[in-house]
Parts: sequence; C-alpha cells; structure tokens
Amino acid sequence: MFDGLVLFGRSLATFADPLTLLLIAGSCLLGIVIGALPGLTATMGVALLTTLTLKMPSNTALLVLVCSYVGAIYGGSRSAILLNIPGTPANAAACLDGHALAQQGLAGRAIGISTTGSVMGTLIGMFFLAVATPWLGEVALKFGAYEFFWLALFGVIISGNLTGNDPLKGWIAGFVGLFIATIGQDPIHAYERFAFDNRDLAGGFQLIPALVGAFGFAEVLTVLAAKTPKPVIHKFDTPLPRLGDVLKYWRTIIRSGVIGTFIGVVPGVGEDVASWSSYAAARRASKEPEKFGKGSVEGLMAAETGDNACVPGAIIPVLALAVPGSAPAAVLMAAMIIHGVQPGPLIMVNNPQFVFDVVAMMLFATIGIFFFGIALVKPLLKVLQVPREIIMPIVFVLCVIGSYAIAQRLFDVWTMLGFGVVGYILRRYNYPMAPFVLGIVLGDLLDKNLRRGLVLSDGDLTPFFTRPISATLAAICLATILMNFAAVRRAAHSVYVALTPWRRVAER
Amino acid sequence: MAESNPSPRADLVWSLVWIAVGAAIFTGGYTMERLERQHINPYTAPGLVPALLGIGIAILGVILLVRSVRRGGFAATAAGGEPADHGRLALALGLCIVYAGGLVGRTLIGVHVPFWLATALFVFVSILAFEWRDRRARGELGRGIAVAATCAIGTAAGVTAVFQEVFLVRLP
Repeated sequence: MFDGLVLFGRSLATFADPLTLLLIAGSCLLGIVIGALPGLTATMGVALLTTLTLKMPSNTALLVLVCSYVGAIYGGSRSAILLNIPGTPANAAACLDGHALAQQGLAGRAIGISTTGSVMGTLIGMFFLAVATPWLGEVALKFGAYEFFWLALFGVIISGNLTGNDPLKGWIAGFVGLFIATIGQDPIHAYERFAFDNRDLAGGFQLIPALVGAFGFAEVLTVLAAKTPKPVIHKFDTPLPRLGDVLKYWRTIIRSGVIGTFIGVVPGVGEDVASWSSYAAARRASKEPEKFGKGSVEGLMAAETGDNACVPGAIIPVLALAVPGSAPAAVLMAAMIIHGVQPGPLIMVNNPQFVFDVVAMMLFATIGIFFFGIALVKPLLKVLQVPREIIMPIVFVLCVIGSYAIAQRLFDVWTMLGFGVVGYILRRYNYPMAPFVLGIVLGDLLDKNLRRGLVLSDGDLTPFFTRPISATLAAICLATILMNFAAVRRAAHSVYVALTPWRRVAER
Repeated sequence: MAESNPSPRADLVWSLVWIAVGAAIFTGGYTMERLERQHINPYTAPGLVPALLGIGIAILGVILLVRSVRRGGFAATAAGGEPADHGRLALALGLCIVYAGGLVGRTLIGVHVPFWLATALFVFVSILAFEWRDRRARGELGRGIAVAATCAIGTAAGVTAVFQEVFLVRLP
C-alpha cells in the first residue's frame, strides 16, 4: 500500500517540470479538440499521435497519448451536447440528455455536468487502476499457455458480442482480425505465412498503419461521403460545474464509475458500452426515470462518468495482461511496445514504477480536462464550426505521413489505405471495428499459446478445460455464445426463476 | 459512424464471401509447409492456427447464410448497407488514392514529386472540390479558393517542417 504511494509520489515528481506540464496542457487540449470534432475519434487521435510522438522519450510520449485519450473521450461530449452529434462513439448516450438540456437553454449547465462526470469518472477509474493492476498482475502470473489462449479468444468473443448490434458479425470481424495477425513470419519457427514471396508482407502488417487505416481513413471516407449541415449552436448559460451536483448524485457517480471501470477491464468492449451501461443502470435506480432523455442531469452525469471511468479501466488489462480493454487502449498498448515498455503479467515485477507513472498521467489528464473544459468553452465553439470538408483532407495527410513515419516505407501507406477501404466497407455492412482490431492485437497471443499448450500437453485438449482459470474462461466464452440463442436465454431465465423463490412470487 | 441494418440479401452475399474466405484460409493453412525436415513438434506447425481460424470463419459464414436465408435473403432485392452519396464517396476515395498511392514518393515524367507539393495539391483540390457547390451557390468562390490555398500551404509547410526537421523523417 505505502510502496504504491511512494511510487505514485515519485511518478508525480517526474512529470512536474514546466516543459512536461506544457506538453500535458497541449495534449489534453488537442485531445478535447479531436474528441469534440465529429468524425475524429479517440482511437484515430491516439493512433495519429503515436506517430507524432515516436521520437520523444517513452514516458513523455505515453503521457501525451494518455492525456489525449482522456481528453478525446471528454471532448466528445461537447458536440453531443451542442450539436446532438456524439464527437466519439463513447458520447452517444450523452446526446440524449445533454442536447435536451441545450435545447432548454441550459447548454452551459450540461457542459458543467459532463465536466464534473468526466473528472469524477476518471478519478474513480484511476483509483482502480492503482489498486487493481498490481492485484491482476499477480493473478496473471499464474497464467500459462492454456489461460492465455482462452484470454485471447475471450477478448474477441466478448468484444464481438458487446460492440455493435450483431454479435455474429462481431465474431466474424474478430476472427478475420485474428487471421490477419497470422500473416507474416510465424512467431515460433519464423516461417513466412501467406506472404506470397512478398518481402514486405513477410514482415506482417504493422499495427499502427492498420489502425490508422481502419479508424482514420475509414472515418475520413465516411465523413466526406456524407454532406454535413452547418452546425447550429444554441444560446447557453454558465458552464461552471456545481458542487451540489456531486453531492446530490454521489451514488450515481460512484455506481457509474464502478460500472465504467469494470466494462473497461473487459477486453475490447470500450467506452461506448460503458457509457450506455452506466446510463441504463442510473435510469433503473433513479427516482425520476421519466426525466431520462428529456434533459436529466442524472442521466448525463451517469453517461459521462461511465465513459471516462472506462479509460483507466481499459488500461488495467493492458498493463496486467497485455490485453487491451478498448480500441484506443489497443493503440496505446502498441505505442507502449514501440517505446520499449513490455506490458503484461511481469510488469509489476520488472517495471512497477511504470504502472504508477500511468496513474500519475491520468491525474494530470484529469486536471487538464477540468481546466480546459471550463476555461476554453468559447474557442471550442469556434472549432466545432470548422467545416469537415476542410479538416478531413488535413487528417488524411496525417494518416499518410503518420503511417509512413514509423518504418519509413511506402508499404505501410498501402497497408493504411487497404485497411481503410476494408474498414469502411465492413462498417457500412454493420461489422464492428473493435473486435477486428482486438483480433489483430490478440492474434499473436492466441497463436503462440494454442500451439505451446498443445506441445505441453502432447496434443491432449483436457488441460484447456480442466485448469480452474482456463475452465472459467472457457465457460464464459461458451455461455456468451449460447446466450445469443433465444431458447437458451429462455431456459436460463426459467432456471434462474426456479432457483430464486422470491422472484417466482414476484413474477406471479 | 452510425451503423445500419443491411438487408438479408447483403448478408447473404457476405455470408458467401466469408465461407469462401474461410475455405481459402483453411486450404492455405492445411497445405502449408509442416517443417517435417526440421523435426519440429507437429503441434507447432505454422499452418495449424490459420487452418482453425479458416474453419471458424467458414462456420460463422454458414450461420450468417442460414440466418439471411431465413430472413428472406433470396427474396429481398435491395443491396442494403448504409446509404451514402456515391459521388462524394468516389471523389473522396479517388483523391485519397491518387494522393497516397499515385503522388507520394512517386516519380512522374522523370521527376520525383516532392512530398510538400503532393500534399499541397491534395489539400487544395480536396477542399475546393468538396466545398465547390456550396461556395458557388453563395457566390464565394474566390474566398473558397483563398481558404483552400491557405490550408494547402499551411498543411504542406507544417507537416513537412515537423516531420522532416523535428522528427528527422526522410519524407517520401
């Protein structure tokens, strides 16, 4: 406990120099702008900034990425409130009550609530990041090949199930992602798979150009293909947050923070699910559920607390298991690896200071979003009014040069273009991108550990199902798939009702 | 991006694509070199995981096929997918591919196209092309050209300076 505090104090001191503070301010502001602009998502922002921070010292680069990630998720609420367009998918739930408040002339109050919720959510998530990462890291030390295989599969199945609105398509996207990860040299024997004697393909697809394509170029195409009307911004009042809101809705804040963090920990699920889940839970528990969707302070608070709590939550499995909790966290994980930080179960043994560095980064990011969220309301309004037709070509230039800059080869630019076009087509036909990306990230883990496990057991499959953690993960995977069948859901419900007599009475 | 609900016909077509993709991956994995001459453990054969993933994709494709047929995939006619302005989409795709694939790092008529020039051209043409109709309707074409030119010069100069001078990247 005290060791953790000492490490945290040391991390705070590391970042407390004027130049670093200036970088924190800049990256928080940039993150907020990226998030506020519909069409620029947190994943795209973090991926593009990864290429811009390549030459920075590792901790400084990751600090910039964490601050922009937190800033983008917060910034997305601005356009949700003012334009009824979520800046990032994470802020869709904020549109419901945020924009309703704006239409009532209370846009400033809505901005204050979203700022309070985002700050509180990040702080709650940060607390769990500091407490849960060392614990999860310790549990993960018990993981062997069998458990890591299931963990990778679990990530793809859960992500496919919960993101988007069609689990079957989510799983297809996830499996295709897993396959793409196998292209190039096999990690055990260095055999070239599906390279077709192409030297570039033999090295496999680099993650960052693939992500910049799937999230950046695909988004550029989406935005440019649809004509966007000129934004209409409502009149608004003071955006200063009120302490009374925190005191009145403390239960909602804590509940949403815990839900958001928990959903963040679940591999590949992400901020949008966290936001909707927190919103739904708040509505169920509210004394005024009828106000939800019509300008409920509680609803907006829940949505914004949930999505921002998810950010530190999504970083917990990155650090402890090397499994990303969301799409932007997948980019962050790739950036960590590029910068020489090896996330995973050994991080608490080899580099415990880094975990607390990330906690400190979260704290600085929270201060950044609080300050800029309140101080720069008017300039951010101007940013929202810049036409997408001007922004998107510039973003595409960054997609091209960002992909190229990593290894300085044109193949990565082609990778970005290819993944962008494929990503655009898949999204048009309702195939979610999060499991696709998670598949690419987790493919190597699944591939190596399935084969290692089979070697260890000499081809015997039973250890994959009999070891306690393996069995649990396998059962969750199976249950997740089966619960998509109506007959299984009905059977599970009747068993549940039979086992809970008080419910049986209530249902009568 | 808002997700749409594609028609059963679109799902039917996609299911066939996934079955074909899955079968191709399985075949590729199954016929892949098993490195027997190197006496490797057969469970570590490089094609094992791709072959299993191919089976998985094909099975999911079959499930999608069955579902789309049950929902009337053979009867429906619309291709489905999110409605998009095909003209704008083709323009965006064309401009991006010409810039990234045809100008950046290329030599045209024996002359290497500098990155800054390619970038300035792309930004200028893109902004102007996508704003053309609105600007013309409002009688602001001159202003539109000035805005596009300013953005083009600013982006080309800014990106070149940052990547070449600060990050020491050899631009294509």
